[in-house]
Amino acid sequence: MSSNHKRLSMGGRIDREQPVEFTFDGRSLIGYRGDTLASALLANGVTLVGRSFKYHRPRGIFSAGPEEPNALVTLATAGRRQPNLPATTLELQDGLVAESQNRWPSLTFDVQSVNGLLAPFLSAGFYYKTFMGPTRRAWMFYEHFIRKAAGLGRAGTDPDSDRYDISHAFADVAIIGGGPAGLSAARAAAAAGARVALIEQDFLLGGQLLAEPSDSAAAKWLRQAEAELESSETVTLMKRTTAFGSYDGNVIGLVGQRDPANPRPAGEVLQTFTMLRARSIVFATGAIERPMIFSNNDRPGVMLASAARTYLNRFAVLPGKKIVVATGNDSAWRAAFDLAGAGAEVTVADLRAAPSTALAAEAGRLGVVVRAATRIVDLNGGHAVRRATLNEADGQSEATCDLVCVSGGWSPTVHLTSHLGVKPQYRDDIGGFVPGAFPADRFGAGSMMGIFSTADVIEDGHRAGTEAASFCGKSAPVPAPSKLDLGETATAPFREIPSLGRGKAFVDFQMDVTTGDIELAYREGYESVEHLKRYTTLGMGTDQGKTSNFAALASMAALRNATIPETGATTFRPPYTPVAIGALAGRAIGHHFKPIRRTPMHDWHMANGAEMLEVGLWMRPYFYRQSGLDVNEAYVAEMRSVRQAAGLMDISTLGKIDVQGPDAAIFLDRIYANGFAKLPVGRARYGVMLRDDGIVLDDGTTTRLGENRFFMTTSTAKAADVLSRLEFLLDTAWPDLRVAVTSVSDEWAAMSVAGPKSRAILNAAFPALDVSDAALAHMGLLESEWQGRALRILRLSYSGERAYEIYVGATAGEQLWSRLLEAGRPLDLKPYGVEALGALRVEKGHVAGPEIDGRTTLDDLGLGRLAGKRSGFVGDVLRRRPAFQAPDRQRLVGLECIEEGKRLRGGAILFLPGEKPYGHGRGRVTSVTFSPERGHHVGLALLSGDVASEGSEVVAVYPMKAETVRARIVSPVFLDPQGERLHG
Amino acid sequence: MASPDFSLSVVDCPLIQIEGWDGTLAQFESSLSASLGTKLPASVGETVRHKGFLVIRVAPRRLWLALDDGAQASSLAVDPDLGCSVSLGEGRVRFRMAGADIAGVLSRCIAVDWCAPAAAPGRAVLTSLHHVPVLFLRSGETACELIVPRSFSQSLSDWIADAAG
Amino acid sequence: MLPIECPCCGPRDHDEFRYGGDASVTRPAHDDPDPEAWYRYVFIRANPAGLHREFWQHVIGCRQWLVVERDTRNHAIASVELARKSPHSKSLARKSPA
Repeated sequence: MSSNHKRLSMGGRIDREQPVEFTFDGRSLIGYRGDTLASALLANGVTLVGRSFKYHRPRGIFSAGPEEPNALVTLATAGRRQPNLPATTLELQDGLVAESQNRWPSLTFDVQSVNGLLAPFLSAGFYYKTFMGPTRRAWMFYEHFIRKAAGLGRAGTDPDSDRYDISHAFADVAIIGGGPAGLSAARAAAAAGARVALIEQDFLLGGQLLAEPSDSAAAKWLRQAEAELESSETVTLMKRTTAFGSYDGNVIGLVGQRDPANPRPAGEVLQTFTMLRARSIVFATGAIERPMIFSNNDRPGVMLASAARTYLNRFAVLPGKKIVVATGNDSAWRAAFDLAGAGAEVTVADLRAAPSTALAAEAGRLGVVVRAATRIVDLNGGHAVRRATLNEADGQSEATCDLVCVSGGWSPTVHLTSHLGVKPQYRDDIGGFVPGAFPADRFGAGSMMGIFSTADVIEDGHRAGTEAASFCGKSAPVPAPSKLDLGETATAPFREIPSLGRGKAFVDFQMDVTTGDIELAYREGYESVEHLKRYTTLGMGTDQGKTSNFAALASMAALRNATIPETGATTFRPPYTPVAIGALAGRAIGHHFKPIRRTPMHDWHMANGAEMLEVGLWMRPYFYRQSGLDVNEAYVAEMRSVRQAAGLMDISTLGKIDVQGPDAAIFLDRIYANGFAKLPVGRARYGVMLRDDGIVLDDGTTTRLGENRFFMTTSTAKAADVLSRLEFLLDTAWPDLRVAVTSVSDEWAAMSVAGPKSRAILNAAFPALDVSDAALAHMGLLESEWQGRALRILRLSYSGERAYEIYVGATAGEQLWSRLLEAGRPLDLKPYGVEALGALRVEKGHVAGPEIDGRTTLDDLGLGRLAGKRSGFVGDVLRRRPAFQAPDRQRLVGLECIEEGKRLRGGAILFLPGEKPYGHGRGRVTSVTFSPERGHHVGLALLSGDVASEGSEVVAVYPMKAETVRARIVSPVFLDPQGERLHG
Repeated sequence: MASPDFSLSVVDCPLIQIEGWDGTLAQFESSLSASLGTKLPASVGETVRHKGFLVIRVAPRRLWLALDDGAQASSLAVDPDLGCSVSLGEGRVRFRMAGADIAGVLSRCIAVDWCAPAAAPGRAVLTSLHHVPVLFLRSGETACELIVPRSFSQSLSDWIADAAG
Repeated sequence: MLPIECPCCGPRDHDEFRYGGDASVTRPAHDDPDPEAWYRYVFIRANPAGLHREFWQHVIGCRQWLVVERDTRNHAIASVELARKSPHSKSLARKSPA
């Protein structure tokens, strides 16, 4: 067969000067620029393009748009796999490599087509009934094989190397659909002065007008509309863009494809996900043609009548030479006429007894055979249709054919309008659903609203565009729409009655659901449309039942002897067509998955051997690499370094809040469990905040800088929560308090010098400052300047060693860090990371995040004395509730590992010796560390008060590593209980 | 990064925040206006340019003084019965952007309508860039600035550079 | 994407805000010792199918706490106002440029 033997030599919107090479199932073929993969395949006489989902029946190209149920291919271009793409919307490009799906070893010989023989056992719901035994575990066995056989395409396993992007777009009027209604609406809205965005999924504008001959009045109208819109400064045309979802706030989700004609530089974006925000929206999404239901209606060579017309007039492909057009409405006759005009022998089998005289006359003129009151009941042919069986008044007959065009009516494409929950309404006069009532800022136009003549569609689009613009306050005078009349006749809708021969009659091609399945569902009681859908899987494929929903509904209505509105309709949800997850992720992948926060000393850490750790959004040094040590050894070495000499830690990530105002002291007294109003200027105090329900929220240190000014620190993780909480109380509970709270977390670089040599190091780094104990007592503040920036030194300890927290303006952070290291080198000052930081505080018995986990109270944590006799602070009343005083309430204890060579683990569950280790146990281990001080693992734990006596044993069970360890309950302060090191 | 169609440079951002108490706002504003020597922006999103600085209203009772390059952000004296101030000059940076492609690049970064009156030259818009709160300042037909928290500076300038392709 | 019209910043997507719970409950005075009052404030909620007064904070923008009346059945927002009862709320309401 020569290439493109079904291609006409003239006409169509393809560019014969630009041939395109592509591959299908290993075969090299030629198409042209302007082709889709489907049209190029048809031009080359390829009729078999896939195998059906369940029965593996041979399937061909059914439609010319995104409603395609059968011709799903896998794109394997440039080694990347993209499965389940409709060949009907794939723009043909050089080097395109496509494969058919769901067949092995080949499309023509598919082993699983034997499923067809098993058909009686594979009806709807078969797996609920068949694979049910002999034991409960049997399903898991069968499921493995069913899973391998299920699905259509196979996902690729390589990382997606394409680039995707995200963008934000704005418009006064968004118009969804670039057919005659949408184009007309866009012209009107633009003329009225609105900023317009026109969204069209195809690579050409025109919608149904593209099914008209390329030298017709319709084509001329289209050219004029396009030219006018392209030259307008206020109109943005977005072709190759699908509106996949309609959301609150008039936000439309769009996915736009790259124009394949542009040569693709490395790294160019493949798809862009755009959030379009419009003040008003016009939905002009058209209508989708319906199939006819009869035996073997799924054979390759069966296609929608409008699709055949589109392949002829848009792509210059004559898909058949002997054609039967089966219908009950007028629109399919236009396909018949055009196909006959191109040289095919055409027979129209119309259900109606008396088609109009005008149509009959035209048929006669063109040599189209008309069989009135005739229905098609069966088809013969495996890989391609050969014969149609027709039923008419005087009996059955056979018609030889190589193409069957079907038209069961039209379904308005209402999906987007119902994404926000507005249910579509059934209209008897058109036999279909139209959108429910629109809110004031949304409009519908054209065949989506049940208007089917082109002349009326254009008028309607014009009206909708004008109204949508007016809603936005744009009401410049709009000229009358330019008219186009294609002479279509309106037809009363016909109620399809499936016509059955001996073979299966398909309702949902993609999910292989037949009329028999719908009857089975009804017999078994699954008669609501929601049950029908889920029991038969009808409408659950990638096409969302675009060509099958209505027939299924009509079938069930007939079985129930109910009207269509009584039977109902299922809900449409986004996306309208499948969206690549990559497109939704856009650029937010890899190191851009979330924004990264770096401290002022980040570059120094990176250049000096730090192993970095993600802590929320922050990058923090985990530990510093020392030759030959892994993390578990490194942190212990760092701990020793701090306790024996001194360590330097970057604590810039701490939350920091500036609290100012005449009522600042009163405010702090109300939000902390311990008092702050009497804190002297120049002093710091550890504070704990509770939630309203009495649970501990966070801890930190607040320093008084002045009469009306405080510097609050919070934990890194809770900084944002605490700030919002403070603002909430000021805005809603105590608006009379004159207090301003501001985040200053990024203002300050913060570092801690901790260890016995810390004061000497500060002396060396700041020779001009008096950092003696007299000048800077424990919990004291020193304010000064360094390199022109403000400097604050707080004498605070988190580790239990003598320590100082040093704050300087962020721009001087790295300099000060280096200065301290330089001054401290002779005294063995070394940097340490968060692992050692955590370990040191555990050794000292300080609670932190793992203990302040949203379930613990002050008393649980042994901090009840902080509140003392105070009241009137947030959380005070509910912390005293009876449940929190129960004797078995879990309280903070220390644990020592008493088994040689074993370790404790955070998260281990605690049991009493001899207890069966099942269930909730008596408590849990919250934080652990190896203690150089003790020579074994120690930890903090929360343990039931009624068994938590110091000296007794517990068993720590860690099921995830099947570990069991004995531990002794001790004081949580593992070293220096008198706090002498703080002052040493 | 720079090309004729889009350039991004990162510079320091000396900034002072001033806030007035709720009950005495009118007094606070007239006192502040007098000491700065300029009227104040009336509502959130408005700015007033004065020699040496730009006054921006970022909340009903909160103003930012964004100082010009090279200026020193010393604290402003505010009567404690009327309000307070805090220096925010260390914790932020300015992304200075310009070029013919700027609207396209920013459409891939922030949900701000470049053509809307709210984003016209002289206006300020508080918005988010890759989930981080930033302040957008439109400084010209094809120029703008973003005030960005310093800890996010590297990550967000990379994000914009990727958008610029 | 729910649009919330912040009185200071104009219409914004809901993900610029932080949700703060039921605004129709009365918070006891900071020194109110009555456990019943605190229990009701912290735990008891009406959970209506219909208009719900709730707190949202505009964290990406002006950081003001707002009271929003939202219909829990269809997300329609009936009103948005500053939570702070201030004599200045009105004069500082955003003047929309046309």
